[in-house]
Amino acid sequence: MGRSVRRRWIVMASVMIVAVCLVGFQGANPARAAGVVTLNLYIGGDTNIFDLWKKAFLPAFTKRYPQYKANMVELLHDNGSEGIYAKILAAKRTGRTVDVDLWETTPGFLDQGIAEGLWVKLSPKLVSNVTKVPAPTLEAVDYYGLPYRGSSVVIGYNSQFIKNPPQTFDDLVAWIKANPGKFTYCDPNTCGSGTAFVTAAIYRYTSAEKFAAKAYDTKDEAAWAPGWKLLKELQPAMYNNGFHPNGNVAVLQLLAQQNIWMASVWSDMGLDWYSRGQLPKTMRFIQITPPLMGDDSRVMVPAGSAHLEGALTLLNWLLTPEAQTMVIDVVAGYPGIDWKYMPESVRQKFIDVAKAFAPWPNPKYLADIKRLWHEQVVGG
Amino acid sequence: MTESRRQGALGLALVLPPLCLLFFLVVVPAVTAVVETLAPGPGGSAGLTVARYAEVLSAKVIRTDIAFSVVVTLISVAAVFVLGYPLALYLRFSPGRLASLLAVVFTIPLFVPVVIASFAMITFLVNHGLVSTVLYRLGIETFPPLVYNATGIVLTEVWASLPFAVLILGAGLQAIDDSLIDSARDVGAGRVRTFATIILPLNAIPTRITLTLLFISVFGSFTIPYLVGGNAPQMLGVTMTNYLTQYLRRTDAVTMAVLAFVIAAAVGVVYVASVSRRERDV
Repeated sequence: MGRSVRRRWIVMASVMIVAVCLVGFQGANPARAAGVVTLNLYIGGDTNIFDLWKKAFLPAFTKRYPQYKANMVELLHDNGSEGIYAKILAAKRTGRTVDVDLWETTPGFLDQGIAEGLWVKLSPKLVSNVTKVPAPTLEAVDYYGLPYRGSSVVIGYNSQFIKNPPQTFDDLVAWIKANPGKFTYCDPNTCGSGTAFVTAAIYRYTSAEKFAAKAYDTKDEAAWAPGWKLLKELQPAMYNNGFHPNGNVAVLQLLAQQNIWMASVWSDMGLDWYSRGQLPKTMRFIQITPPLMGDDSRVMVPAGSAHLEGALTLLNWLLTPEAQTMVIDVVAGYPGIDWKYMPESVRQKFIDVAKAFAPWPNPKYLADIKRLWHEQVVGG
Repeated sequence: MTESRRQGALGLALVLPPLCLLFFLVVVPAVTAVVETLAPGPGGSAGLTVARYAEVLSAKVIRTDIAFSVVVTLISVAAVFVLGYPLALYLRFSPGRLASLLAVVFTIPLFVPVVIASFAMITFLVNHGLVSTVLYRLGIETFPPLVYNATGIVLTEVWASLPFAVLILGAGLQAIDDSLIDSARDVGAGRVRTFATIILPLNAIPTRITLTLLFISVFGSFTIPYLVGGNAPQMLGVTMTNYLTQYLRRTDAVTMAVLAFVIAAAVGVVYVASVSRRERDV
């Protein structure tokens, strides 16, 4: 009896000691790191984006600016972003600072946050390098999110079989019809590269800008009818009599196995697979006219950031050619700054794909496009 | 008296957490869903309306998907049954090392997550996969595609559901008294006769339970049809997810969920009737 009590005491005491140590260390950390400011970065995305920050950006940045250290939190596929948003919003409403100094996330949170006044509005006074960023991409979000890298959907083709790749969307359609079974795009419910091909067919007969704007009226969707007709017509000429795989990766696999010779793919994913030797050596990428859809990835700095100066220093550094070259080398993305500020060698490498890209339809039209594609093209 | 009351209170306390779970996570959402789909839209008159159901069912794609789900489910259940019953009989009535080895081997799919099973099936069945290579070597050069369509879904569902069916059917068979079968043999009944007049009727309730549970689990499955199925038609689980997350049409998804629930409930009635009959028999 006495023994077991004593043992329980020992257990409790050791738990207490461990707890005190843990708390103590946590408290001690900032004090020890006086002089060096730790920036808290929340990065949402896939593992390639984490590598871009962890292995390329942050070591180079902290080397250039030794007064800063970086603590990066990875949000895989943006899981947990609701919590980060709630944290920033709560800090703003209670008038406190927040330990989120920089956040890379989906456009939805950027939009919501603009309405709440959560982000720092960028200007040349705060971040001198923003002048190098093409103005329209900043205006699109009222200067609240920094487009530090981009990517777009392009046409990937195997030059072993195709000597003269299509230059325009109409060329592409003609090529698909002439080479049945050698092209496909993924189910738009599962990937953006498929959505890009579908919207290209729709935009062919109407204007991209109209459906990218904020206004939404289902009556305007009547203009999509010729697009659906075209896509339906193309179905028998698709791979496996009209099969659309699930996801971007499945399409790249079909290209890798040479089951198909051409497909719409994300520029960054395609170039990344190519550079790692996962696609045939003869694979090439080209942007057609009018260009397929693309997207900028943005970072925001919360206005309530506890280390505002450091965060803005990091933003400014992100727009230097040094950092922008890393975007290209590590994830095969497009630079956020204008191509003219990039080194000549980089510009040459991207000459076939580095064109402007078409805007995404607004989220409501996008949802309808996916549904109607299912109804009009593969179903019914 | 106080002892039995205390026992009653204890029983209630033990039952309360699952009951709460059932109530708040199943009954309440289900009732809310039904009410939501029957409520008239904004500006509509008071009372209940079936307009949403009419609208959802007026879409040909959705009607096709519902019919497709039912047909695929029925074929899968039939295939599992045809394959599973003989296996269960074999394991019950054949002594020996092979039977006990099989009894372990056939349960393997129970321990393989469906996501992994689905991807395995894809690599197995796809063009240039093992099956098509073997068929090609055998001189069969044209055969229907085995994956990304109903065939693929049925094959994967059967693979994943077989152990479950064999376990329940086997449990029922274990409960049959050996002496009944021996006496049937004594009076000259052959194997088929014994099966048809003794085993099948005595195992009727576990059979019905197996069939209904299989139907409900295949009908409501998502992962397998999502990964192994084609672009269209799709099974309801996938259709509902698309309407909810991709097409941003929540009410349509809820309406389809209620329809799926009605179909599953109709089958569930058979299960409840079977179980309560067994309780009475015991």
